[in-house]
Amino acid sequence: MFSRRRFLTHSCGLGVAAATASTTALTLGLTRSVSASTADGYKALVCILLAGGNDSYNMLLPYDQDQYDEYTKIRSDLALEHDSLLPLSNQSEDGRSYALHPGFDEVRQIYEARDLAFIANVGTLLEPTDADAIRAGSARVPIGLGSHSDQIAQWQSVISYNRTSSYGWGGRMADLIDPNPASGLSMNISLSGTNLFQTGSHVSPYTIYYQGDGANTVWSFPQFWSNGINVHNVVRDLLGVDHDNMLRREYARRLQGAMDNRDTVVNTLRSSPEFETSFSDNYFSAALKQIARVIGGRHTLGQNRQTFFLQFGGWDHHEGVLDYQALMLPIVSKGLDEFRSALQELGEFGNVTTFTISDFARTLTSNGKGSDHGWGGHHMVMGGDVRGGELYGTYPELSQSSPLDIGRGVYVPTMAVEPYFAELALWFGVERGNLDEVLPAIRKFYSPSSSDAPVGFLV
Amino acid sequence: MRVLHLLKHLCVGGVLVTGAVVNGIGDGDIGGGSGDDFGVTVTKAELNEASRLASQATFGLTYESIEEIAKTGRNRWFEQQLEISPTFHTPIARDLITRQDAGEWEEFDDNPFLLRNVIGRFAWWQQTMTAEDVVRQRVAYALSQFFVVSDRVGVLRNNPYSMTSFYDVLLDNAFGNFRDLLKDVTLSPAMGLYLSHANNSKAIPERNIFPDQNFAREVMQLFSIGLYELNLDGSVKLDSDGLPIPTYDNNDIQEMAKVFTGLTYAGPGNYWGRNYFHHADESVFSLPMIMYENYHEEGEKKLLNGVVVPAGQSGMQDIEAAIDNLFYHPNVGPFFCKHLIQRLVTSNPSPAYIERVARAFNGESGSPRGDMKTVLKAILFDPEAELLGNTATFGRLKEPAVRIVALARIFNYTSDSGEYYNTGYRLEYMTGQHPLSAPSVFNFYQPNYSPIGEISANQMVAPEFQITNATTVIGVTNQVGLAIFYENLAFHTWNPPFETPRINLIDYEELAADPEALVDRLDIVLTQGKLSRPTRDIVMDVLDRVDSRRERAMLAIYLILISSDYSIED
Repeated sequence: MFSRRRFLTHSCGLGVAAATASTTALTLGLTRSVSASTADGYKALVCILLAGGNDSYNMLLPYDQDQYDEYTKIRSDLALEHDSLLPLSNQSEDGRSYALHPGFDEVRQIYEARDLAFIANVGTLLEPTDADAIRAGSARVPIGLGSHSDQIAQWQSVISYNRTSSYGWGGRMADLIDPNPASGLSMNISLSGTNLFQTGSHVSPYTIYYQGDGANTVWSFPQFWSNGINVHNVVRDLLGVDHDNMLRREYARRLQGAMDNRDTVVNTLRSSPEFETSFSDNYFSAALKQIARVIGGRHTLGQNRQTFFLQFGGWDHHEGVLDYQALMLPIVSKGLDEFRSALQELGEFGNVTTFTISDFARTLTSNGKGSDHGWGGHHMVMGGDVRGGELYGTYPELSQSSPLDIGRGVYVPTMAVEPYFAELALWFGVERGNLDEVLPAIRKFYSPSSSDAPVGFLV
Repeated sequence: MRVLHLLKHLCVGGVLVTGAVVNGIGDGDIGGGSGDDFGVTVTKAELNEASRLASQATFGLTYESIEEIAKTGRNRWFEQQLEISPTFHTPIARDLITRQDAGEWEEFDDNPFLLRNVIGRFAWWQQTMTAEDVVRQRVAYALSQFFVVSDRVGVLRNNPYSMTSFYDVLLDNAFGNFRDLLKDVTLSPAMGLYLSHANNSKAIPERNIFPDQNFAREVMQLFSIGLYELNLDGSVKLDSDGLPIPTYDNNDIQEMAKVFTGLTYAGPGNYWGRNYFHHADESVFSLPMIMYENYHEEGEKKLLNGVVVPAGQSGMQDIEAAIDNLFYHPNVGPFFCKHLIQRLVTSNPSPAYIERVARAFNGESGSPRGDMKTVLKAILFDPEAELLGNTATFGRLKEPAVRIVALARIFNYTSDSGEYYNTGYRLEYMTGQHPLSAPSVFNFYQPNYSPIGEISANQMVAPEFQITNATTVIGVTNQVGLAIFYENLAFHTWNPPFETPRINLIDYEELAADPEALVDRLDIVLTQGKLSRPTRDIVMDVLDRVDSRRERAMLAIYLILISSDYSIED
């Protein structure tokens, strides 16, 4: 009975609870798993998907001369000039020095301020392995390696052994923590539409618009008011109609949910303080500003946990990877800097952790114009709780005979996505005993009962 | 009359419409009265079935055209459509580019790309709104969601010939053969740019350079066979361990990538590596790509299912062999046909429906393998596609772009100049969708997207819901409102110098003298007789409060267009 009710609550596909049922969801959330940790102050995770497969071996690269020489040998016409790089002051644990793409000036400064960390060579895995085992056929590897659709899905579902997963780890966290949507709005908010990361069995993302006040409603067309007709209200009447057809019902629920929640979204964004930070005039910065506004106005929602999803696409650079990264990485760098600054104005920077995901890195070797689909890649985590100024994980030693190279400079990940996300999930308030539910394959890479952190990049 | 009509159906198309006629008895004829070319009156049921075909196989037709289908007979009308030669899009682009280059419009002197960037879209709207080959245009659009290129890539948008000539390939082959379609798409310069197999060089090991795998992967995953071996009914084959059987692996991709080397753009002055096109000649983006043998990988290539292409063949021979390798793969029928069924008819075709169409694709009814006419007839004249066989899980959500084109066509958007140019910017802004502008080669939505809730609980899919979120579901509703209440806002164009077409509701204003008649008519044209009683009551209640016929017509049209009854074609 309960589960049926609960199912109905969320079946609107908007992550929105109908008013009558939201109390039930709240009750269930309390009985189920709201723990001491989730009752704490506000926390938010911001997931940035660099869709298409960012060539991150040109985002974070070796600076020591010997490894840089290997890098140029392998990357050939895709290598960046050594004197263009932005060196990082801190040596990593392996005693090596690394540098950033020349377009990452702000990111370097945030890193030096210890508010940002890099995680090296992360990727989807079924088990730890290397190139020899893969060649010998003795290793199990994720399905659809190198396929955009599969790898984008697996970075979000964290299930790499089938293609039937329809939930992501952000959705599973929301299922556990529960959105307690007194406001009727999901705790998972997307700037980029439907996505797997934020979809759970009971929760799906609520999409807000990256411009304006985030939401609109069905217009009432005042020319009919003299007839006493408010079109908006007639539409509401239409949405009350029962339909035999399942698709008709789903469509009505979506439109109804969007109309019901419009005011909530607008009020939230409008109640955010104005920022002194000025955001760049592009989609990425505008979307980050919108996230900052939701966080700034979050008191109207009464939620103490939120996730945000922002997709920034266009990284599939089979062609022109140098030119395009030179245009696009600075957008990321400036956007992150602006976002940090706005969150600092709000005093929320310590409560918000921002992290990147991407389909894969790319072949280190060139196809003569750009690079093809790879596997393990490098990622960023930013926030006040991040132990920044560090490089976590293992940056592969670059070599044409690397034991990690499965061909064309595609490197087997040296860290699975599971521990990367486990660190974020634990910080977010997921209890260790619930990690298996959020990250089903976590035990292949990390014991939830361990006293050590999965990776260590968060306080 | 009815008997005559039934006989005609039996003779011409061989497909029974008995059900429809039986259903029509007692409904009363409403098509009579006007001058009638065939001396045949049609039943409401026949009109509804005709409207159904119009809605599945075209971008939407006026009542008069629906009536014509009913009178002609659905099968015969469809056969006639198959014989109309294509209305290509490139001539529109050529005309506009020529006029712009001749300095016809000083409005764009300061920023020529304001116009240049939307000429491809102008061509799409002009022809989609006006062409007589209405089925071919609609099928080409469905194909553009299988073979995906996107004008989100700046070079493709700046060079309108790239998009129009790609679309012309789809139009040209829409009633041809799938093998030709696959080959022409492969050699299309827009696709060469989009999936980067243009200027794809053979390996240069000493420089650590290897063939680009982009097209090789997607031509298998998306354009022909898909990821897993399929049964004829579209279900996934399982091995002895109960696991799906992948159709290819990474080695196959590397081998396939070798095949697609050596291609570059054609046209006068062509050279290997030509890759910067600020303002390219028509030839660069409208001629099929050509082979530079020096850049083609020479050795043998191991294709799928044990086929080996010997060393030393010419590049084009290799490509022909690879196209054959894919075309004769048993997956193509169920994989491709399911896509077309989902785009034109229903999100969840039964396995038996897929199998019937796949068998038609495979040539079991006597036509050649891959014959598109046979496939389309199998899809659209299947009992499952017609009005009677429907269940509570049948149907598809109409995508925003199709909804807006449909209303503009059905409600007679017209312009004195004959111009139907549209930048598409408003549509895109409000609904998140514009034709030929998908975010990636994976199209606007995935074929297996299943919204959480009762749809996923019933193991069903509804791809179009992937782009139907809180923002876009409001956006499409308001875009419909603008298009109806503000008369010309289905279109956005640079005006001046161009004219924005306007809605023309004269017929509906006349009907609106009698609200019942108005809603009856709209029920045929928009919902094929399936407007639900409560929806109808709400609309009627509104109409009773309005005296102006024009306002009645607008309100009735708007309310039905934004209702679930219309948004879902079930």
